[in-house]
Amino acid sequence: MSATERRTALRRALGGDRLAAVSAGFLLVLVVLAAIGPFAMRYTYDGQDLDALFRGPGAAHWFGTDQFGRDSFTRIVYGARVSLAVGFAAVAGESLLGMTWGTVAGYYGGAVDHALMRVVDLLIGFPTILLAILVTGIFGPSLTNIVVALVLTAWPGTARTIRSEVVAIREREYIDGARALGATTSRILARHLVPNVVHLLIVRATLDVSTLVLAEATLSFIGIGVQPPRPSWGQMIYESFQYLDAHPLLLVFPAAALSVTVIAFNLVGEFLSRVLDPRYSVARR
Amino acid sequence: MARYVLYRLAMAVPLFLGAALLIFVAGHLAPGDPVQTLLGDRYTAATGAVLRHQLGLDRPLAAQFVDYLGQLATFRFGTSYVNPGLRVGDLLRTALPISLRLATLAVALAAIAGTVLGVTAATARGRPLDRLIQFGVVLGLSVPSFVTAAALVYLFALHLRLLPVAGWGHPADYVLPVTVLAVAPLAFITRIARSSVGQALLEDYVRTARSKGLRTPRVLFRHALRNAALPIVTTVGMAFGTAIVGAFVVEVVFNVPGIARVAVNAIFQRDYTVLQATVLVYTALFSFVNLAVDVSYAYLNPRVRY
Repeated sequence: MSATERRTALRRALGGDRLAAVSAGFLLVLVVLAAIGPFAMRYTYDGQDLDALFRGPGAAHWFGTDQFGRDSFTRIVYGARVSLAVGFAAVAGESLLGMTWGTVAGYYGGAVDHALMRVVDLLIGFPTILLAILVTGIFGPSLTNIVVALVLTAWPGTARTIRSEVVAIREREYIDGARALGATTSRILARHLVPNVVHLLIVRATLDVSTLVLAEATLSFIGIGVQPPRPSWGQMIYESFQYLDAHPLLLVFPAAALSVTVIAFNLVGEFLSRVLDPRYSVARR
Repeated sequence: MARYVLYRLAMAVPLFLGAALLIFVAGHLAPGDPVQTLLGDRYTAATGAVLRHQLGLDRPLAAQFVDYLGQLATFRFGTSYVNPGLRVGDLLRTALPISLRLATLAVALAAIAGTVLGVTAATARGRPLDRLIQFGVVLGLSVPSFVTAAALVYLFALHLRLLPVAGWGHPADYVLPVTVLAVAPLAFITRIARSSVGQALLEDYVRTARSKGLRTPRVLFRHALRNAALPIVTTVGMAFGTAIVGAFVVEVVFNVPGIARVAVNAIFQRDYTVLQATVLVYTALFSFVNLAVDVSYAYLNPRVRY
């Protein structure tokens, strides 16, 4: 497929996928808000105003205020900052580790492959929450430890995906050709193998962000994730349970922010998997 | 088959040893000196050294680890670090059955409802009913369980006042936790059932069964569902794992005194011995669930041979 063809295919696929386009737009706005929001805010995330407890949404407080009179919109924007920072950092870490692990296992094959993939087999059935509990429970729930826990749970899946693709590509003629021309192993890995599996990595990483953002929110909800006063969506949802009867809106905003973000990453990820997968042809739609 | 089970059991050993080692090392790396904590005000260099010797904490780490494994092998988990009168074994014995009961009920609910919904969607493929079920599946998979919990609590406990908000002891207390726990497994069992039954309905033997005049329910249950059962059964096994993990949110929301609650409290109180024991229990549970899933898959599918 030439570059122009690819572009038309991309455009056509985008046109046919309004939902993915809307999701991508939403995520863009969220990232911008999270990045610059704190500098443009009228309130701070922990600024209490005891004269304005449980205010409903209005001009002064777009999403209302909570039990301490803190501005909910500000807290949600800060929560997005935490969620996205943790999600992106964890995805970067697990992608790097999984990509390296999977490429090495797939390319070398044999005993190396066997040994590396047994480790993956062992870890892959292990739930995020358990590792997170181990890490944060013993070393304390700092942001770094949360990211470490998330990386530990996510990378085996990536390693397995990448490995299976590398195993298939390894036998292609152009790899043989490169080898016949005298290319070193590191050159073959970096110039020929990695560029041909990177599309899978992009898709996986996008889908993983949604899983990891949700995992961070779950940890924070349980109380072993992001610690107050730093706001996070999971923690805001947990706190709002106490006031569910009288002030359900306190729950609705962070819950909606979290759910929409998770769904948006999923939709964009599924869209990318359709567009970037060479086996998926737009003509067949 | 027996060889495969043995191989899988052997695979579980390094996982378990690894978890035990991780927990052991982490316990030693953790901030704080247990001897100092135990002695409190009476801590001096001399009393510290005596107690450290009595507890065996001055021995090489490798020797301590072997001792630790010996204790685990005989189910001696010791006493709570924070509350020395409490035996960790007793704590697990009361909490674990509660979590397992919740998980079992949730998986049973999800398996039955998921199969019914999946078959319904497969027979109504492309029609509005199918689309509705599919939409429900997407919602069930992407809405976080604590949000579902909040919605159900608001509707059934606070608004309609049909069920208790939280608490433990009455049969009614089970309804909301089990429902919340069942949502995610229900969604993916439905999805798998829909696709595998849908596939089976396209097979020649289904057309034959229809053409010889069998009525739809019989074709569906005797022919299509039977052949579509394999992926569904495997998914039900995985659903059990999901339900055990889901308990972390559910037990916190509904104040259920299960094992997840014990683990979370242990983290808050920095109760290392309890935390170690719960992590090991979870490792054992997951190894067992994964093993059961893979073995049942091998058993049910004659084409899979190990």
